Amino acid sequence: MSFPALNIDINPDMKVEVHTTTNRGFTPEEIAERCASKIISISDSANPAIQAQAHAFRQHIVKVLEFYMREAINSDRTTVYNAILDSGNQELAELIRRM
Amino acid sequence: MAFNGNFMCTSFKKELLYGVHDFDNSSGDTFKIALYTNSASFNAATTSYTTGNEVSGQGYTAGGGTLVNVDPTSSGTTALTDFVDETFSNATITARGALIYNTTPNTTSISVSTPTVVVLDFGADKASTNGDFTIVFPTANASNAIIRIA
Repeated sequence: MSFPALNIDINPDMKVEVHTTTNRGFTPEEIAERCASKIISISDSANPAIQAQAHAFRQHIVKVLEFYMREAINSDRTTVYNAILDSGNQELAELIRRM
Repeated sequence: MAFNGNFMCTSFKKELLYGVHDFDNSSGDTFKIALYTNSASFNAATTSYTTGNEVSGQGYTAGGGTLVNVDPTSSGTTALTDFVDETFSNATITARGALIYNTTPNTTSISVSTPTVVVLDFGADKASTNGDFTIVFPTANASNAIIRIA
């Protein structure tokens, strides 16, 4: 009796994506899209009705992620604002607050 | 000399049988991803990290970025592992591909100190200018995960 060989190789269709930006960071929308793709994977061969439901759920997840990412950004900005203010640089702190 | 596809390094497959690599999230080895220009020439025969043709620029340090391991798991009869997406922040770099390599391997049975895992071809030059350069790994499932044993 022979054993089948273990297959360890890269899927030829495997794709590592690279996302880049110029003179800015990623927006909450861009990151939320990437995050949702990590959470939800929708098979092309799934039942069309289930696919549609999954896509609708994914869009909802994207919106929730966007919202809470903005919350986190704003909250972090408040922390940064106070840290800069405490260091005595009121002008820079004000610039951060207005972002 | 150029990138011509993704490769799982043959030496890596052999090293798995020697127990060289540990992908555990909390207690595993430290894997890094180094970026290269299209002048680099890597394939399945690539065995260790090299500085030749590695990119340089703001936001990038030679050797590349440290990856966060995702605990190995299984799906059906396939075992798989993954890495958290890697971002080089505020970077001004152009890269065509990358090498993932182990910086803390079990060297009991091997002579190289930075053995490679995979060669990644981005398909085209990717550039960031005073921005973020993010490598997004494929979905970690039995069909697409970056490292799978079926």
